[in-house]
Amino acid sequence: MSVQVNSMNRGAVRSDLLMAGFDDAVQDAQKVFRKVLKAMSEPGTILTADLTDKTPGALNKSSWEIALTLFDADTKIWLSPTLAGDDVVVSNLRFHCQCPMVSEPAEADFALALADELPELKTLNWGNSEYPDQSTTLIVQVEAITNQVQDSDEGWCLTGPGIETERGLSAKGLPYSFRLDLVNSRKRFPLGVDCVFCADDQLVALPRSTEIKPSDNEDGIRNTTQQEAN
Amino acid sequence: MSSQLSSQLNKPATQTAGAEGYNFAYLDEQSKRMLRRAMLKAVAIPGYQVPFGGREMPLPHGWGTGGMQLTATVIGEADTLKVIDQGADDTTNAVSIRRFFAKTAGVETTEHTADASLIQTRHRIPERQLRNDQILIYQVPIPEPLRFIEPRETETRKMHALREYGAMQVKLYEDVARFGHIATSYDYPVMVNDRYMMDPSPIPKFDNPKMNQMPALQLFGAGFEKRIYAVPPYTKVMSLDFDDYPFEVQSWEESCSICGSDHSFLDEVIMDDAGNKMFVCSDTDYCRERVEQGFTAENPEGQQGLTPEPNQSQQERKTQDDTKAEEMAP
Ligand SMILES: [Zn+2]
Repeated sequence: MSVQVNSMNRGAVRSDLLMAGFDDAVQDAQKVFRKVLKAMSEPGTILTADLTDKTPGALNKSSWEIALTLFDADTKIWLSPTLAGDDVVVSNLRFHCQCPMVSEPAEADFALALADELPELKTLNWGNSEYPDQSTTLIVQVEAITNQVQDSDEGWCLTGPGIETERGLSAKGLPYSFRLDLVNSRKRFPLGVDCVFCADDQLVALPRSTEIKPSDNEDGIRNTTQQEAN
Repeated sequence: MSSQLSSQLNKPATQTAGAEGYNFAYLDEQSKRMLRRAMLKAVAIPGYQVPFGGREMPLPHGWGTGGMQLTATVIGEADTLKVIDQGADDTTNAVSIRRFFAKTAGVETTEHTADASLIQTRHRIPERQLRNDQILIYQVPIPEPLRFIEPRETETRKMHALREYGAMQVKLYEDVARFGHIATSYDYPVMVNDRYMMDPSPIPKFDNPKMNQMPALQLFGAGFEKRIYAVPPYTKVMSLDFDDYPFEVQSWEESCSICGSDHSFLDEVIMDDAGNKMFVCSDTDYCRERVEQGFTAENPEGQQGLTPEPNQSQQERKTQDDTKAEEMAP
């Protein structure tokens, strides 16, 4: 595939690059939404969204399905450089979602990024104190997500709304600085950025309401069983 | 990458399917996406009211479009829907809404709380403890708990932003001064996760303790004011009170005349022209379930080991000297 840095700002859709979206746009979007709703209301719970066979370019299944479910002409989308430079990704998002692309993360309703191309958290929109909902939702493609945080230096111990006691979570491949910024962002609640981490057909959410502690400081969070909910 | 254009591919995902003349669950896909995005923000900021745009769902007056919109947005073919109005499954409203979604979404419906995956409600929370695989959707008339204190939206937004809730405490304390107790008996304000003050909708305050740490997701929809708010599962929800006047729920001297329950919310029913009355469970499914299990007014202990689980937190908070049941009649 050809990479053109400025292609995200072009209006054109290349029909030769298009691929199928959902088999059933209405039913499949409902199914994916319910997974995302459960993920966002029960932070750290890993869910599987496996309703598409092929995905455009570097998009993985769960991020592609979230895009098909939530993006439309009313949502501004920021893509990390590799995704923005991929005509396949851009053409398919434009065609299936009709979403406008923006070049500044702060303008985005959704930012869709590869883990090694994350924008600095402070460059996203955190909402304002009267309308904290007017924030960017960050969708990050990661290598793997797991509730097993034993022997992981990337592990988190999560507490807060949606979590009965505590839940372990590790999203592989997130830069240290991003993980640090995310932990620190909790001080500014209700301002903040809600995150969804997507690994292949799995997804997990980390809304701003979730308290995060690095799990290596915690004794009680070893060997959390993987919570698979369907 | 695929260079082949199938016929399926010519249909963008954002298009609305609708061979029968209306979309699945009646609401169009664009409205659903907008409501879905708002709903995700609502669960991420528990108790905060997320505004949404669009037009009001075109439905007969009196149905409560907020709850209907949320149900239409969430519901899928695999769901089983229960609808209650004042605790009852058989009111005109509840029956109409069940039929509406059975027709427009083809879903199963039920009157049994335990069998439902989605429960749309107006004015009650079921007595039976809800599970984590269930979603409770409340119909909300007025979403802003501070509205009667401050009519301007710009001001109530600021009060929420600054967590400036003293005016509500003053209002409740005026009750104490006047009546010797907090007279507010439904629509009783709560604090969600120690951050946002929230209107629980006009449920009796008897139901407030059930909201705390509930395993089910709770979604609230106000159609006219276009607001969504939410309480995720296992979230702290506390009713406002004072150290010297702790929060108390209604209780009754009487038990249910049908199932003998001494722990459910009771409705007073006038029996005849002479004004004779009896008390029965407001939650008709809970009452029916108890009767099926052998509980009666004469035998309130029932058969051993078959008691349907009442919500435990509601028992803890029960006191005797509280508001009379008559005050609850809406
Ligand atoms: Zn009864």
